[in-house]
Amino acid sequence: MAETDEKASPPVTLVDPIDMSKLDPSFRDDVKSMPNGEELTACFACSTCTAACPIANQWDFKPHQLIRMILLGMREEVLSSREIWECLTCFECQERCPQNVRVTDIFFDCKNLAAEEGYEVPENVLVLGKELVDKGQLYVVTADWEREDLDLEPEVPGLSVEEVEKILKKTRTGRLVGGE
Amino acid sequence: MPTYNLYMGCSVPANYPNYEAAMLRVAKAFDMELEYMEDVACCGSPNLRAFDYFGWLVVNARTIAIGEKNGNDIVTPCNGCFGSLKDVLYHLKHDDEMRKEVNDELKEEGLELKGTIKVRHFVEALYTDIGIDAIRAKVTNPLDGAEIAIHYGCHLLRPEDVTEFNPEVLKELIRVTGAKVTEYPLWKQCCGATVLPVNEPLAIRLARDKLNSIKTAGAEFITVVCPACGNQLDLQQLGMKESYGEEYDLPVLLYPQILGLAMGMSEDEVGLNMNRVPAQGILEHLVE
Amino acid sequence: MTSPVLVIGAGVAGMTAAIELADSGVKVVLVDRLRTIGGNALDLYKAFPTDDCFYCFEGNRTRPGIRKCFYRSAMTDQPNIDLYTDTTVEEISGEAGEFHAKLAVGPRYVDPKKCILCGKCMEHSQAFEMLSPQCQPQAVVYNPSKAEDGDKKAEEECPTEAINLNAEASEETVKVSDIIIATGYHEMKPVNVEEYGYGTHPNIVTQLELAKMLDPNGESAGTLLRPSDGEPVKRMMMVQCVGSRDERYYPYCSKICCVFALKHAVIATKERENIKVSVVYMDIRTYDRHEQYYREAREDGVEFVRGRVTRIEPRNDGSLDVIVYDSLLDKYLKSNIDLFVLSSALEPPEGASDLMSQLGLKSASGFVAPVDLVAENEVVVGKRIYACGTALGPAEVPESVNQARAVVSKILQSRK
Ligand SMILES: Cc1cc2nc3c(=O)[nH]c(=O)nc-3n(C[C@H](O)[C@H](O)[C@H](O)COP(=O)(O)OP(=O)(O)OC[C@H]3O[C@@H](n4cnc5c(N)ncnc54)[C@H](O)[C@@H]3O)c2cc1C
Ligand code: SF4
Ligand code: SF4
Ligand code: SF4
Ligand code: SF4
Repeated sequence: MAETDEKASPPVTLVDPIDMSKLDPSFRDDVKSMPNGEELTACFACSTCTAACPIANQWDFKPHQLIRMILLGMREEVLSSREIWECLTCFECQERCPQNVRVTDIFFDCKNLAAEEGYEVPENVLVLGKELVDKGQLYVVTADWEREDLDLEPEVPGLSVEEVEKILKKTRTGRLVGGE
Repeated sequence: MPTYNLYMGCSVPANYPNYEAAMLRVAKAFDMELEYMEDVACCGSPNLRAFDYFGWLVVNARTIAIGEKNGNDIVTPCNGCFGSLKDVLYHLKHDDEMRKEVNDELKEEGLELKGTIKVRHFVEALYTDIGIDAIRAKVTNPLDGAEIAIHYGCHLLRPEDVTEFNPEVLKELIRVTGAKVTEYPLWKQCCGATVLPVNEPLAIRLARDKLNSIKTAGAEFITVVCPACGNQLDLQQLGMKESYGEEYDLPVLLYPQILGLAMGMSEDEVGLNMNRVPAQGILEHLVE
Repeated sequence: MTSPVLVIGAGVAGMTAAIELADSGVKVVLVDRLRTIGGNALDLYKAFPTDDCFYCFEGNRTRPGIRKCFYRSAMTDQPNIDLYTDTTVEEISGEAGEFHAKLAVGPRYVDPKKCILCGKCMEHSQAFEMLSPQCQPQAVVYNPSKAEDGDKKAEEECPTEAINLNAEASEETVKVSDIIIATGYHEMKPVNVEEYGYGTHPNIVTQLELAKMLDPNGESAGTLLRPSDGEPVKRMMMVQCVGSRDERYYPYCSKICCVFALKHAVIATKERENIKVSVVYMDIRTYDRHEQYYREAREDGVEFVRGRVTRIEPRNDGSLDVIVYDSLLDKYLKSNIDLFVLSSALEPPEGASDLMSQLGLKSASGFVAPVDLVAENEVVVGKRIYACGTALGPAEVPESVNQARAVVSKILQSRK
């Protein structure tokens, strides 16, 4: 039988497998070479991470599956998943992984890769980035009378906003949300 | 008289001045010298780390490097700042190459991160440097065994190799005020604050889970040590009441407020009127 | 004078028992039905847990070797050992302390004591073979089924007159006091496990067959080539638990196939060029210290898929498309591979049940079973009848050797 590439003809069977030759094994290497990726390949798919995760039940891809998908080279699927952005960064998975896979940290790395490679970053996350670049802080004091009532200085002492703006304009934040 | 670099971040000053005030008063009573750090930046929270790892490293390394100039440990009341600073320090201590790159960015300002000081959460500094006995000596109006559930917050507890925080610390700090610690099954679980920008309904479900677990365990109050957790558990209760008619009636207090009251501070001094779910009920538990 | 001990089977276990008894002054009759001793271990190349090589003879011109194995080299020189290769035990009568074993000894076409392995006979006829570089005795053997005209010439020209083409089979009865069963195991030929297609395609092999392919002394000098056309293997897939843990074949876990699959996966990934290995498994069972192989394999980039094979589709170019259900992802994965390796069940060797019923021994899933289950007596299978090594069930070499030593100490104690 010829290769199953002809899209026109209907599939021969009901099984519709993922074609491993079309995946991207360099994805695994990319993540492994990132700052937290070293233990990635130690994963033995025990799914402890998923058991530990408070929100995995809400996800289509569970944490152990995401790690597996990275190992198999499913770059597209992982980097465009909503799961990496919904991760609470609560580190429950990472804390319990019996192979010291830095699961949460790896999801952080994936988000960075997604942002770098032009995958969609959730709107509200970009808004936070914009706040940081434009205002140099995430929260701005609005009710300074409250502070005064408590004998606190009206403004936050010592907070410098210019320096953050300057730094982040040069890094990926600037590239993602642009300066002012 | 221990001296610290006080790193406030942006959230506590903007959203929880009562936390700030109570902390400063408590610290003063124990001669902890908290000096506001000058010219430091917002930590960016885990959100910044998500899309700009390098930017996050540089911003926070800069803060730590500024702290290193006077050699005092950095103390912060916010889990987000604590997590970010401590995590950055951990990462840069374990990644020589990255540390070099980051330091190259700091050079312009004449700064360099060397890893000579520690990043600490205020409650841990209080516990370790002042000690339970010294604290007990200043508790003049102890609580009468009120049931208080502790919500630690993820970034205080985990990853443990980074945060190095022992959960017993907060328990002892609560008990020394005369209150009881209410154990509840979901004590480790996230409050949902971080997912708020991406999936609000999910964030609310997490808060609800947490509040249910706390309520069922019989707690009367919740204590937190982070503005984001505070927001999520306190403010969110008002929203849940409005949108879903759910009422938990669980006042959320920042830990220094509880200790302050037990040390005889007034309701105003710890800014009790700013708590979202009315928290005055705690006053009835104070033994004169 | 006390009677000798009969050791049936000269694999690692039987050899250990024989040599250690002999060294303690006990006479041993060591019988193996094959024409070389060594058993299954002969084909293994590197062995866990030490990663030593199984070539344990000092090198000479026909057999590049690595180190001297103190067991096997002694096997033919030890005066207390009477070695019978190409020999089966036809019948055992008598009772504990005084068994009579009737041996059927195959024709001695080549006298191993005379053969100097000059190789001349092999030039004349294919019927003369060296079974393995580390065969023991170190001698060629003659295979009458391959008889050809050159045989006579070989016989004439053998410089040591080691060859006798007229040799005949003989029978011999020995009187022995104790019997050690060290008949080992057999790797199942998984022809009946239809879904894996063994026997239908040359590129579908078993682990033991793979071990031979990986062997630097093998046909391809250790390079992995597709049996179908000799093209280099670039992608290899292994599947675990073929016929083991399966009520339709063998209900038990063969215990060591996970570990040797990992061993082979690591060798192929690390010591051969550009080979990608995947392992399809239900559980990876690496007992005690062997867990390190599993971690090492993952770190070396071996791909593990928990799930089972849906189907195999041979392509015209000699490769195979294998669809695997990945139960962790709940997805089907399709891979194109050159070599499909089956971790087939380790089963009792042929004839084991006859031997057991003759001696009235208990069986556990076809292997010899201990009389009672207390750990220190696991090698006692009858009255003055012992078993060791894989005759008792799948085991690695160190465990087989330990059991052989346990047998030896029991026998020595009983003789005090
Ligand atoms: C693919 C593979 C890889 C392996 N890799 C390793 C490894 O890396 N490390 C490790 O420790 N172990 C390994 N093993 C296991 C190893 O092969 C065994 O532990 C070891 O060979 C057992 O030795 P034995 O003496 O018990 O049995 P065997 O080696 O099976 O020897 C039994 C002997 O008895 C003879 N015999 C059988 N029945 C009769 C009879 N009725 N009469 C006369 N003679 C008889 C046989 O001809 C044979 O010579 C591997 C096994 C396999 C299949
Ligand atoms: S807990 Fe660790 S080893 Fe287990 S599946 Fe998750 S990442 Fe893999
Ligand atoms: S860090 Fe993310 S993936 Fe891990 S347990 Fe928390 S929410 Fe789940
Ligand atoms: S010719 Fe004789 S000595 Fe030489 S290998 Fe053959 S049998 Fe052995
Ligand atoms: S050792 Fe592994 S492959 Fe062998 S039967 Fe047991 S689980 Fe299956």
